[in-house]
Amino acid sequence: MSPIINAFAQGIKKSGVKPAEVCVPSDIPFEPNVVKQLGVDYFHTIRGRAIVFGTGLKLANPALKVVPVVGDLMTLGGNHFVHASRRNMELLVICVNSFIYKKIGGKSVPSTSPVFSLYSTFEEPFNIPHLGNSCGAIYTARWTALHTDELVNSIAEALNKRGLSVIEILAPGPDYYTGINNIDSNLVKFYHKNSEIKNNEDPRNVGIMPDENIVVGKFTDKERPTFIDVYNAQLSKVIGDKFTPYGPVPTSRTGAGLGTGKNESGGKDG
Amino acid sequence: METLKTKKMKEVHPMEDVLRMNRIPHIWCPGCGIGLAVTAFAAALEKAKIDLNKVAIVSGIGCTGRVAGYIKLDSFHTTHGRAIAFATGIKVANPDLKVVVFSGDGDLISIGGNHFIHAARRNIDMLVVCVNNFIYAMTGGQVAPTTPLAAYATTCPFGSVEPPINIPYLADSSGAVYVARWTTLHIRRLTNSFIEALDKKGFSVVEVISPCPQYYSRINRLGDGLDMMKFYHDNTEIRHGEDTKNLDIGFQGKIIMGKFIDRERPSYTERFD
Amino acid sequence: MKANPRDVLTGVHYIDGDVAAGYGVLAAGCKFVAGYPITPSTEAAETFARVAPKGNAMFIQMEDELASISAVIGASFAGVKSMTITSGPGYTLMMEAIGFGAMLETPFVLLNIQRGGPSTGVPTKTGQADMMQSRWGSHGDYEIIAISPDSPQELFDYTIKAFNLAEMYRCPVMIMSDECVGHMTEKVVIPPAEEIELEPRRLYNGPPGEYLPFKPDGDFIPKMVKAGAGYNLYISGHVHDERGYPVTNEEFKSVYLRRLVDKIRRNKDKIIELKEENTDDAEVIVVSYGISSRVAVRGIEKAREKGIKIGNLRLVTVWPFPDEKIIDLAKTTKAFVVPEINYGQIAFEVERCCHGRANVVLVPHSGAGVHNPDDIYDAIVFAAKEKKKIEGIVEYKTKLEKLVFEGGFKLKE
Repeated sequence: MSPIINAFAQGIKKSGVKPAEVCVPSDIPFEPNVVKQLGVDYFHTIRGRAIVFGTGLKLANPALKVVPVVGDLMTLGGNHFVHASRRNMELLVICVNSFIYKKIGGKSVPSTSPVFSLYSTFEEPFNIPHLGNSCGAIYTARWTALHTDELVNSIAEALNKRGLSVIEILAPGPDYYTGINNIDSNLVKFYHKNSEIKNNEDPRNVGIMPDENIVVGKFTDKERPTFIDVYNAQLSKVIGDKFTPYGPVPTSRTGAGLGTGKNESGGKDG
Repeated sequence: METLKTKKMKEVHPMEDVLRMNRIPHIWCPGCGIGLAVTAFAAALEKAKIDLNKVAIVSGIGCTGRVAGYIKLDSFHTTHGRAIAFATGIKVANPDLKVVVFSGDGDLISIGGNHFIHAARRNIDMLVVCVNNFIYAMTGGQVAPTTPLAAYATTCPFGSVEPPINIPYLADSSGAVYVARWTTLHIRRLTNSFIEALDKKGFSVVEVISPCPQYYSRINRLGDGLDMMKFYHDNTEIRHGEDTKNLDIGFQGKIIMGKFIDRERPSYTERFD
Repeated sequence: MKANPRDVLTGVHYIDGDVAAGYGVLAAGCKFVAGYPITPSTEAAETFARVAPKGNAMFIQMEDELASISAVIGASFAGVKSMTITSGPGYTLMMEAIGFGAMLETPFVLLNIQRGGPSTGVPTKTGQADMMQSRWGSHGDYEIIAISPDSPQELFDYTIKAFNLAEMYRCPVMIMSDECVGHMTEKVVIPPAEEIELEPRRLYNGPPGEYLPFKPDGDFIPKMVKAGAGYNLYISGHVHDERGYPVTNEEFKSVYLRRLVDKIRRNKDKIIELKEENTDDAEVIVVSYGISSRVAVRGIEKAREKGIKIGNLRLVTVWPFPDEKIIDLAKTTKAFVVPEINYGQIAFEVERCCHGRANVVLVPHSGAGVHNPDDIYDAIVFAAKEKKKIEGIVEYKTKLEKLVFEGGFKLKE
């Protein structure tokens, strides 16, 4: 995880986004000092619900930058990923793919590649960039945890995108995964060596397949109106001038509110 | 006239072998397309000449969720969204059975979306019939993930603000081996598609575009079932093998139909063996 | 804090309970509702979707109930009042996140228009069988507040109260209504905005460095901040210390969990609202909530006409349960009659508090309908006549059950 956290910290810095405005709902437990270092607001959610928790944060306060960091994204939360992509909710989904459920002792996850896992040889992994792209995500990329510079650039770039971006990071868990599969514990180096950068490759062709090089790169980068954009456009069209657009109000110390007046923001201090 | 009254003639419904006649009349509104989809499916079952005792049909909740209850197979009316997961259990426990999931867009793609993509990824050998009427009809016309942009529904009283999902593209990107789309006007082709898909090993998806005169059409002022049929007649185009990413359906836009995907991939139970 | 006049549809309305609840949500200053269609609660969501732009609020129909409630908890941490609306199966799906919300001390409101269960049950008809689930549904120890309104007017009023309680005690508040009330059309009077008192979010206002998200104030309840305001929040569903950091040792867990339940239990007197009538010298007291309390009124009137000294205790707040009240009443009364649309949930709570001092007669109902008032009357007469103390609960057989199970009644479809 630590190279990813470093990349994340650098990515935030590079993007120009204030860390204080960044909210990270995640079903992966972060160490408290990591959160302190990053300077973000961190929410450890129930399994699989990081994306929808983030949807709530984002819609309640559109000024926030919400970055769901998900581990087993494609198991419990797969549906939320599909629908958040469809809505083009303004989230940056970082999917840390360690090919295994680390916390519960090495069960295989849906993105486990058949070649690498004893227990899931009969299941094919998800091609996460392709799934995201097919559902409407505007930015898809995949890197290994050792592609540090590219990863930092991707995070910085995606943080400034308006819409759902997904970055898949290959970072195998050394304890369980490599142990069970008798692979060199420096698997991440193996991935780094056996990966091939193909930017702008059609996501259709980037599935992780046995005996093939792992394709990494930035695959898609397009523009599409976000959920709130479409909401505002549609409602102004139907309601007319009476409609007050729903949208971001700059954050302040006491928190970012939605309305314009002080009393409208849901409460007063104290 | 006297002769007609003699009781020698017994009225037999042509599909009595496949339908539970004691449950007819069904609950669907006049003009609804689900009945047509069921007819096509029943015809396919008869034509495909498969042992009906070896077919299980699973539905979720919703208007289309009632289908399982009208078909004389081993029928299961399950909880909302879990039809595919339930069917996975049946198939894996007894791979000899043919398993058909017959449900609606809300049930399969919204709440059941995760089971849909995972069953497709695992390539569980089943036929999924997704009747897409663009709305939640059973609960009274709420917005669905398939509702076209700017179309009205009760929970989006100012028009839908969410781009609809392209079901064939989702199925394709998750790994389905057979993907087709037809409307309820194209019964013959739909029936043939069902026959083909029933024969296919792996996760097959047939999307059936169906009119909902009571909610979708009424809220959006599109006329009755017949008007929708005319609309399907004028605004559909058959393009077999079309790239699934081009299959979005806009509000009253062109509907592209056909068989889009037909490929081979080892199914879950085959891999397991 | 007063309600915003923009959000209050002041006037006299003739609307059903679901619509009244939808108006109540807006009036309460709620800015975020996430829901998923489910009969019979959908109309409340539809109503809010219609009026939301008026209050610059957001309604979103999520992909399922799990998503709805998670988004609601997220929105609450972003600093707005939020709620979700559901029924039967949807409520069951939400259970995990309700425990999560309670653990995180998230203020949010959940409207459950109960329907006939279990499973898909009878979607279009009534039931009151989620009462225990609302209290014990999620795993682990936690406390919530549950209110049970009995009319559209109350659905409006108590929706606002639910938001106030949620903000006051930082916990999920359930409005446990039922299909009958939800679909009952009655006169609803919405007062002017200045007559509606709202509880604002209790925000911490000090510098970020010193903020401890789970350090309680004097009354057990910590102050909140809004996400994205520079407080470097660490919020976790693990058992946590005052900073929010996960801890696993016994001492910390006992300190934290004690407060989680104590903040409700020690404030019980302030939270509980009951409606009492002639309970002081009653020989029989009817304990009821929701739609059953309205049906019971006829049975009570009839018993009173026959000269039975009858009291009426209506639980507006069902959870936390008014133990002390029942214990007190059990000392003076002979029996309690509990009509509810289930096979015994709150009746067992009443029996627990009676502790053998008074008889408890349950008038059960399977759902898909309400009690026949005569059954309640008969149960009252039975309870008034019975001289000996009966251990446990007496399950009264209703007329319908007698017909179905004893008297050759033919079920027709």
